[in-house]
Amino acid sequence: MRTLLLCPELFRADGGIARILRLYLKALCETAEPGDAVDCLVLNDNVVDPRLADFSGPALRSFAGFARHRLAFAFQALRLGRKADRALCGHLHQLPVLRLARRLHPGLRYSLVAHGIEVWRPFSAGERRALLGAHRILCVSEFTRRQLRRFCPELDPTRLVVVPNAVDPTLPAPANPAARVDETPGPRLLAVARLSAADSYKGVDTLIEALPLVRRRRSGARLRIVGDGDDLPRLRALARARQVAGAVEFIGRIDDAALQSEYAACDLFALPSRREGFGLVYLEAMRHGKPCLGARAGGAPEVIDDRVGALAPYGNIPEIAAAVLELVRHPRDPAAIRRHAADFAYPAFARNVASALA
Amino acid sequence: MCGIAGVIFPALAAGEREAAVSRMVARQRHRGPDDRGMVSSSGATLGMCRLAIIDPAHGAQPMSSPDGRFHLVFNGAIYNFRELRPALAAAGWQFRTDCDTEVLLAALVRDGAACLPRLRGMFAFALWDAREGRLTAARDPFGIKPLYCARLAPDGLAFASELNALVASGLVEPAIDPVSAAEFLAWSSVPAPRTIYEGVTNLPPGHLLTADTHGRTSIGPWWHLPEPRSPQAAASPAEFDEQLRHQLEDTIRAHRVADVPVGAFLSGGLDSTAIVALMNRTGARALKTFTIVLDDPALSEQEPARVAARELGTEHHEELVTGARVANDLPRILQHLDAPTGDGVNTFYASQAARAGGVKVALSGLGGDELFGGYPSFRDLPRLEHWLPAWRRLPRAARGAVTGLLRTRSSSRARKLADFLEHARDRHELAALQRRVLPEAQRLELLAPEVRPAVARLGPVHPQLDELTAELLDADPLQVISAWELRTYMADVLLRDSDVFSMANSLELRVPFVDRVFLEWLWPQRAGYRFRAAGTKAALADATAGVVPAAVRARRKQGFTLPFARWMHAELRPFLDDTFSSASLAGCPWLSADACARYWRDFQDGRDDRRWSRVWALAMLVAFANRRPTA
Repeated sequence: MRTLLLCPELFRADGGIARILRLYLKALCETAEPGDAVDCLVLNDNVVDPRLADFSGPALRSFAGFARHRLAFAFQALRLGRKADRALCGHLHQLPVLRLARRLHPGLRYSLVAHGIEVWRPFSAGERRALLGAHRILCVSEFTRRQLRRFCPELDPTRLVVVPNAVDPTLPAPANPAARVDETPGPRLLAVARLSAADSYKGVDTLIEALPLVRRRRSGARLRIVGDGDDLPRLRALARARQVAGAVEFIGRIDDAALQSEYAACDLFALPSRREGFGLVYLEAMRHGKPCLGARAGGAPEVIDDRVGALAPYGNIPEIAAAVLELVRHPRDPAAIRRHAADFAYPAFARNVASALA
Repeated sequence: MCGIAGVIFPALAAGEREAAVSRMVARQRHRGPDDRGMVSSSGATLGMCRLAIIDPAHGAQPMSSPDGRFHLVFNGAIYNFRELRPALAAAGWQFRTDCDTEVLLAALVRDGAACLPRLRGMFAFALWDAREGRLTAARDPFGIKPLYCARLAPDGLAFASELNALVASGLVEPAIDPVSAAEFLAWSSVPAPRTIYEGVTNLPPGHLLTADTHGRTSIGPWWHLPEPRSPQAAASPAEFDEQLRHQLEDTIRAHRVADVPVGAFLSGGLDSTAIVALMNRTGARALKTFTIVLDDPALSEQEPARVAARELGTEHHEELVTGARVANDLPRILQHLDAPTGDGVNTFYASQAARAGGVKVALSGLGGDELFGGYPSFRDLPRLEHWLPAWRRLPRAARGAVTGLLRTRSSSRARKLADFLEHARDRHELAALQRRVLPEAQRLELLAPEVRPAVARLGPVHPQLDELTAELLDADPLQVISAWELRTYMADVLLRDSDVFSMANSLELRVPFVDRVFLEWLWPQRAGYRFRAAGTKAALADATAGVVPAAVRARRKQGFTLPFARWMHAELRPFLDDTFSSASLAGCPWLSADACARYWRDFQDGRDDRRWSRVWALAMLVAFANRRPTA
């Protein structure tokens, strides 16, 4: 069996899609039978990242980054597609290439990973045709599956399979929870998100707005925000306007090791986002035994429940503040949270991927 | 029918808790003038006031289990309580009353929330389990009966049938949530679970709440709309009509269960006339009917109601409503409001008439339009959906030019069309926008600048979009529209107002079309049978052809409108001048005082009388915010 994997990016960025596609590559390589081969084409990467070794295996026959050269990427996808038995597409935007590849090589069976907002919308005629030709669509959550059915009702529901995301098994083991970086009275809230204006749905602004209400009862409450983007000036201004500038720390973009330290040092992770397809960051925080606050929207309710965190209506500031206070006052059992994260462990994910693509 | 209230707060001394609940019960005493009761146990106090309808001599509440572990307060009526009772008795419950409350208590004690899908009726209840320190509360599938709750820091919870009662507890701060106020401007109501007050939750219809003494609460749905298709559905229009008639008689029979006089609202339209005709057919005698009449013959339903009453042989009562009367009663109406509304005045007067006319229970035709396609949305939205894909293929600039042009038109239809075209991407979003009152741009204009970002964040479509879409993925387009009408306008505006204004007059209003058993039969029927091309609500007309007078069936559907546009230029003008004054608008810092005053001036200048409902709604919001609380 020869498998072709197309990805928008794997190592050039650290967003949720890139992180989960690394696991798809790993799963394809590790579940390959002897004699099987995997080819991986990445549109936006331009160098072979040293981390590739962690996410591949002997089955990886070729790996190529195209530094955003779409034509070369498409050409190579068509070329390899002619030799492949199956193909997996990491983003809807690349699916029409695989449809074309199948026209050239009718034996090719292609599937798609559907993450979130990229498929929560009406489709162009080309995208629709490509979707209808897919063997399977692997949806990260039931919510994403429903959105696909909503915007493409002709899709055969049996072809839409939910494969929840998984925690990256290559991440360093969680630090000892006792090893807090500082001894501020807290609670210390952590948010991790891209801070671009286009992603304002992540709800970081609503957290800042809720902070004064939280601080009325917990005067030591602080919010640390990891991430960077063009929305940063607005968020800083908002913190000043709400008179919590001193309690909000913008950490910027940090590497994986520093991020793991942030998770370990926080008291709770909060991202009351409106449009998380799944919310990988919640799982990463839960891995450290941290309770999570999400919005009752998108795929977040499939990851967060009462035992491991709380959900608040998106944009409802008093409810967000109340949920934070409730989590602080009634801490969830860290061991139970870690067990919940373990339900989304990589081995089960790899099996799900293999079974969905079979 | 009752008013219920309670406080779960072990940290509060029992005396303080009881005093708070006592104030809550007193504030909603109009909901149940016949009796009052209160119980305290294990950190909780529950209270209620009762309007005795079934087994008036017994059935006092709160009702406790014989072992004292469970305590129940219940607002509503369980119509099938006599059917449920034998199984509960056989399981060992020794009934002490012939009241539906005890059947509910026994069912909850035996099966917990699992009994809810077996209940037929309208209800909001709270059950306190003193041993486990756990509260279970729920509302009926459609939200006929209300229930509000508020967290009490640090670990408490208060609940009540009315927001006014929560405020009267002294434990809940009546701070208006600016975003909720903005939502009211968009939808003529604040969609659940938000309420007009910060930190207060409206338990959504068909939802269950659990709370414990550690402040942990969880809310989730216990009822969903049925599957859109069923193999048991009628196979032909004739079979459908026959079954529909049978189902209608069944729901009417269920809704007539009472040990006190039952009457009906009668407007002379198809829905209310069908209800009255079927009441007659199912055994009602000397039926009393009530209608409000207006001093404007073009709008009054006096004549058609008289014709229907004559044909059906009812003892008919009319209640004259004039602008002067409304102006005079406004302070009292405002005191009864527990949230702003631009609607419901007709129910207030019809209920007053019914109570004065000697009935304690009245049936209403509410729900017929939602179930049988009586609204223009059933005609307009499928047309729009048909053109939507072609529209969305146009270049963005062309679309922007067209919607921009539509927005400059004074017609509200044109601006609503612009909203649809700009924001809707599929049938679900069309349906989610259909009850939008103020277009987004206009809403933002009326708000204070500092409030706008938080409101804009919510977007123009209804907040229930995701939830309802999940339920309606396989539904027929007309089922989608019907579901949105049921779940939004009917639940948040019609049923809410009906409850508030009927209860203000201590009248139990029942809505036989809005019945779980009836809906679960009707929902999976073929859309072509239920929504007929022959005309508005033709299925209902055909199924009741033998009992509804021909004159009523022949009458063209006419939406009911009070002559507010005229009154607002005359009798109601002093109230509006006062409401839109600088002093009054200063009480609403979340509004742009200039924009609101201008909105009122434009209406006065007579530029567009069709705007009256929006101006009136805005006025009611301002008046509500400036209201002085009363005990």
